Amino acid sequence: MEIIEKKADSFVILNLKGRLDTTNYGELEKKIFELLEKKENNIIIDCEKLDYISSSGLRILLMGLKKFKANKGKFVLCDLQENIKEIFEISGFSSIFDIYESQDEALKA
Amino acid sequence: MNKKEISIENNISELNKLQLEINKISKEWNLSPKILFNLNLAIEEVVTNIIFYGFDDDLKHMINIKLFLEHDKIKTQIIDKGKEFNPLEKEAPDHIDKPLEERDIGGLGIHFVKNLMDKVEFKREKNKNILTLIKKIN
Repeated sequence: MEIIEKKADSFVILNLKGRLDTTNYGELEKKIFELLEKKENNIIIDCEKLDYISSSGLRILLMGLKKFKANKGKFVLCDLQENIKEIFEISGFSSIFDIYESQDEALKA
Repeated sequence: MNKKEISIENNISELNKLQLEINKISKEWNLSPKILFNLNLAIEEVVTNIIFYGFDDDLKHMINIKLFLEHDKIKTQIIDKGKEFNPLEKEAPDHIDKPLEERDIGGLGIHFVKNLMDKVEFKREKNKNILTLIKKIN
């Protein structure tokens, strides 16, 4: 998986490209810890190019959500593909994450 | 009837090989992207459980995945010689509706398997766990 990082307004945007699964969730976990250490507070996970996610990936997203919320920050998602949306529905994650259709919408929130 | 077999070691790094093989088979059998996605996920969740919890030693063990293409369905059998473990007996995750603080991911893998597949069956035969996943295809 590739993680492309950029900043916009007060947000750090992480564009995830490829798969987030049991073999590589550590990469995102590391990036999240880095951002926490840098005291970043608002994160957008852009999932436009995220083709696949398994429970290992969901675990890291849940961790990110809990940690940033604990710091009164934001950890939101945008641009989920259809298959990924279904996984979020089945797991009940669609009710705990703020999910936006686009990066623009996420930035406005 | 079409039949394919994949064997991997009980090692997380083998999941990449598994995914490549499933993708190859999917192209050959002309499966839709959605079916491929569901199969990949269900198989990854089952195999991950076997790798993490199936064996108590540090030795290499093989996990066999057999795929059968029938006219209206794909049948997948995941076979291992680890500890007896029926994932279907595990309780459903009770945290799906809970507020954030109480959310966890325990049991989510099998929850996906049950939701994404049309039928899931477990059999313990001799010293093998055999989990069969059935997915209807149009």
